[in-house]
Amino acid sequence: MIRESFARLRFLIRSKPQSDVDDELRFHIDQSTERNLAAGMTAQEARRQALIELGGVEQAREQTYQQRPGWWLGTVAQDVRYALRGFQRNPVFTITVIATLAVGIGATTAVFSVVDRILFRSLPYAHDDRLVSIGLVHSLEKQEFMMGGFFFDWRDHQQPFDAMAIQSTGPHACDLIENNPAQLDYMDFDAGYLPMLGISPVLGRNFLTEEALPNGPPVVLISYGLWQGHYNRDPNILNRQINVDGSLVRVVGVLPKDFQFPTLQPVDIVFPMALNPADQKTANGGFGDPMRTFARLKPGVSLEQAREQMEPLFEHTRDTFIPKDVRKDVHLSIRSLRDKETQDSRTMAWILLGSVFAVLLIACANVASLMMVRGEGRERELAVRSALGASRGRLIRQTLTEAALLSLIGAAAGMALAEGLLRVFVRLAPTGIPFLDRAGLDLRIASFTVLLSLVCGALFGLLPALQTPRMVALAARAAKFRSRVVLRRALAVGQIAVSMVLLCGAALLLRSFRNMEEQNLGIQTGGVFTARIALPGFRYDSLHKQMQFYLDAAAAIRRLPGIRAVAFSDSVPPGGWQSGMRWSDVTVDGKPYRGATVGKTLTDRKVTPAYFSALNIPIVRGRTFVEKDMHSAQPVVIVSRLLAARIFPGEDPIGRRVNGQTVVGVAENVKNGGLVEPDAPEIYFLRGKSDKDWEGKKPVMVIGSVLSAKAIAPWVRSQIAAIDATVPVQIEGLDASVSQLADKPRFETSLLGFFALCGLLMAVIGLYGVISFLATQRTQEIGVRMALGATRGNILRLIAGEGVRLIVLGGVVGLGAALLAARLLASMLFHVAPHDPFTFAVVALVLGLVALAATLIPARAATKVEPVVALRYE
Amino acid sequence: MPPTTDLLQGTLDLLILQTLATGPMHGWGVAQRIEQVSQQVLQVGQGSLYPALHRLEYKGWIQSDWGNSENNRKAKFYSLTATGRKQLESELATWDRLSAAIGLVLGRIPEAAS
Repeated sequence: MIRESFARLRFLIRSKPQSDVDDELRFHIDQSTERNLAAGMTAQEARRQALIELGGVEQAREQTYQQRPGWWLGTVAQDVRYALRGFQRNPVFTITVIATLAVGIGATTAVFSVVDRILFRSLPYAHDDRLVSIGLVHSLEKQEFMMGGFFFDWRDHQQPFDAMAIQSTGPHACDLIENNPAQLDYMDFDAGYLPMLGISPVLGRNFLTEEALPNGPPVVLISYGLWQGHYNRDPNILNRQINVDGSLVRVVGVLPKDFQFPTLQPVDIVFPMALNPADQKTANGGFGDPMRTFARLKPGVSLEQAREQMEPLFEHTRDTFIPKDVRKDVHLSIRSLRDKETQDSRTMAWILLGSVFAVLLIACANVASLMMVRGEGRERELAVRSALGASRGRLIRQTLTEAALLSLIGAAAGMALAEGLLRVFVRLAPTGIPFLDRAGLDLRIASFTVLLSLVCGALFGLLPALQTPRMVALAARAAKFRSRVVLRRALAVGQIAVSMVLLCGAALLLRSFRNMEEQNLGIQTGGVFTARIALPGFRYDSLHKQMQFYLDAAAAIRRLPGIRAVAFSDSVPPGGWQSGMRWSDVTVDGKPYRGATVGKTLTDRKVTPAYFSALNIPIVRGRTFVEKDMHSAQPVVIVSRLLAARIFPGEDPIGRRVNGQTVVGVAENVKNGGLVEPDAPEIYFLRGKSDKDWEGKKPVMVIGSVLSAKAIAPWVRSQIAAIDATVPVQIEGLDASVSQLADKPRFETSLLGFFALCGLLMAVIGLYGVISFLATQRTQEIGVRMALGATRGNILRLIAGEGVRLIVLGGVVGLGAALLAARLLASMLFHVAPHDPFTFAVVALVLGLVALAATLIPARAATKVEPVVALRYE
Repeated sequence: MPPTTDLLQGTLDLLILQTLATGPMHGWGVAQRIEQVSQQVLQVGQGSLYPALHRLEYKGWIQSDWGNSENNRKAKFYSLTATGRKQLESELATWDRLSAAIGLVLGRIPEAAS
């Protein structure tokens, strides 16, 4: 067998000259002729008999060639050459098909490269399907967390996991002190963390167990980015002592280049998470330190089983650790790591993928339609080839070769387009889409594209390929191919239906997006800036020093021209992190408030008096905070209108007491749950001049100004630098950060809108093609009708009626599908019902009008035909 | 023309191999030989001889060389290779088994299972 293959291979490489066979056959005939002559025939008769005996020289030669190994390769090459010649002869067809395919395949590839990591590709950890995030959740913290006070009990008594590892919450900032100082993000994790994820450092080693114990030797791991960017990939980094926040630590390893924390946070430097289980029982009021926990399921254990098995431990913790009044609010959560990482991007990813596949489907339908038109033009040619001996298989292969060639060229063009589209996506995309920075056209994506193009090729190649070349076509005058007309009509109906679905989805998102942009936020965003000042903790080591710095900075900036107000708050509406309180933490006039359901929260903010004027929040009753309150021993609060109505329904809130503080004013409501969530009731505490008012989250400076960001930023920076030149400041316009909140819906809307328009355009072109084809086919009939007295109006109605039937059918099917599909969008819609009748009506109308225009053009052309010409038309 | 019989699929290869086992021969010779030996019952030709010869050559069972024919013309001579000889043996064995089996089914005792 092996020897045989070798023999074949040898002949494949060293092909025999064709004349060989000719010589051989000639010799054979001559021999036979001689024998016949010897038998007494005439010269002519002898040769004739010899030829008859051999049975067709040409056939014998042909069949002998076909024995050659790799003979079929030659025919493929022949098919390809033939196809390319055909494309050359018909460049308009070729370019149209390739462009259509490039758009379909390119868009699909670009979208796939983005959603692949969210939906399909495995996470970059060993046993990624068994990794979970585990912990408690409650209404103020929806991401699983764990406390040191009970983590060790869980770890020691759990059944379902073969490993559990912890990292600190964070990351937090620290300072690298050396000739080239830098502010770094740090995180802690324990010694089992990297092994559980199946990650080992590219250089050096992981933490040893004894290094992850309290008072262990001071060691750190650094990120690849830090090693590359700051240390220029110095291999001598190992065991070097570096100064972080004033203490020396030894670098023991460098994390891999593509390592990503399961929390997807950027981290430069990692300390060992050195916790003592006994200390944790007493630290932080008995709760211990907060942390994030990840675990690896034992093989064969499902998430449900894990939940079941962890439930008793959780219940014990809940009943012993958690204060009684919030017990009902705390739950156990175990999710797969993929769920945690991709969270709410999933729906969006599926919707994008679905819509881009819809566009691809429309594109394929168009190409199939074009191929069929071309097939009709070549009916005679195919019939001739068939008559000359081409088998049906060979003809189908020819058509499939053409389709495969077209789709591969389309795929190549599509890849180029995808590269460009991907750049646009990354530019447009909001920060919240996981892994987007890693999206790229790698081998996996390229194979997907090639596979996709081949599937497309088969899809639009097979339909026309299966048309039998009929012998009738040789003699045919105007053959009617009923079945193909039905098929093309069905394609047009399908295209209209699919683009209806796309358009409805896009229109719903567009309306939702407009609602979001036009809503009243309750604050002024133009001319308002936030400045985040990262005070290095080791130099500003007391609250008093920090407060002093902040107040000095505010006073300096207040003196600048064009500044309306300078305030501090722990957060700024409408989105991002905001502090929250439980209703159970609220007291009214000294008594606990009991009027709210479990799980709902209110927003609290600790602000300096200028906050309301900086953001232009109106005070609707009472007064705002004043400078004097900052020194006063009498604590005061301001409540939002929503909160006042909630806890003092129908009463005057001024002078009442909330959490032991006197209400002095009622502020207008502001949007404080992001752009989409409904407003939460809000309470404003005063940030005064005592040290404890400045503890907790680092305050953000809010600057109200009448100048532009360009003018303000350098002044603010220089004022802060005048106090301390080493402090980094980050200045951002509030309108920019609000606009950033809308990035995600903007991204979804623009993408879906783009796909819907692509789809509509292609569907309309498809419809145009079908109608003009039908009109051409009926030219003779039109001639007869006109000769019998039909007016141009009658003809127009006849042809356009055909189009209208297709449009109505496609529209109705599409509307039904769109109503179903809209439900998937429901979670992404803001103030628009998924079945919003107005949106659907407008979309149906627009689609109907555009499609009607596409049918009227060929229909009108049909009426212009001269009856005499039409009658003679074949 | 004498009555001919369609050759069973694959039988032609066997006949060619068997014919070439006696020594190198050109295509015409092979055809003549088969006709003669089969007493004009088996007529090769009909465009199937040369495809078969080439197929066998591509398989490496026979090889070809240009040489001079008995009447001193250039002709292509085919001869059996070592692989071809082995193949012939195994095919002959198969043929014997097969024809014996068919003979049994048809209720005839095979006359000469050579």
